Amino acid sequence: MTVPRSFSVFAIVFAVAYAVVYVIAVWKNYALFTYHPATNEFALGIEKGKDGVAAMYWYGWIATSTIAASVAGLVACYLPQRLTQGLWSGWSWVAPLCAIPVFCYLLKGYFLR
Amino acid sequence: MITVLLIIHALLAVALLGAVTHQAVSVWLPARKPVGSFVGRFRSVSGASYVNAIIVLYLCQSVLGGVLIYPEFRVSVRPVLEQLGLWAPLGIFDLKEHFTVIGMATLPAYWYFWRQPLAEQHAHTRAALTALLAFIVWWNFLVGHILNNIRGFGS
Repeated sequence: MTVPRSFSVFAIVFAVAYAVVYVIAVWKNYALFTYHPATNEFALGIEKGKDGVAAMYWYGWIATSTIAASVAGLVACYLPQRLTQGLWSGWSWVAPLCAIPVFCYLLKGYFLR
Repeated sequence: MITVLLIIHALLAVALLGAVTHQAVSVWLPARKPVGSFVGRFRSVSGASYVNAIIVLYLCQSVLGGVLIYPEFRVSVRPVLEQLGLWAPLGIFDLKEHFTVIGMATLPAYWYFWRQPLAEQHAHTRAALTALLAFIVWWNFLVGHILNNIRGFGS
């Protein structure tokens, strides 16, 4: 299968943007939509839980990050090649790796009670 | 129904764990010469042959666990764990869900840099992406196992 050269740019930028946007989305609760597991309902944006069951924002955070990272990756594909040819492939793992300790910090409240 | 899905989830997890562990060992501890031992054969597998299986299994696991099972966890299991004050298990489970998403973010790059013929200049990137995915899969497997031990299979 032939893959365009620009796919490497897309893949690297996608990984970096996804990790960064997902961390911000979780931290600031930028969920595109809310899911209520108790009633099996979706709602646009952020809503509080229903029927005594907490709302789920995880799908909304994933949607926010997927859209933002896809747009960032596609935009990067159309940048002049002189700007992207030096893009280090290692960013595709460095940025996601850095997200891991950030999540440990964000969730430290669970372990320090 | 949830019990059946949990068992399928566990079986797919074993397959994914085996595939990604084989690949990670073949990359980080490759066999330098043909060896007949179990460990030697484990180290000498072709890492590239696992890529598509790992991606498909990872995505299947994300959909199965995240879409079909997770809502039931939020309704039936999580409130009980909160009432029991089991905060550490809840914390490691929340990390599991975030690590899963971080792993998904790397899949396009992981697929691209493992394409045949393997580009020598991306060997470190391949190894690092594989190690990151292996860590996430192992974490998810162990945390899922722990949570299921606390309250799983129709309890």
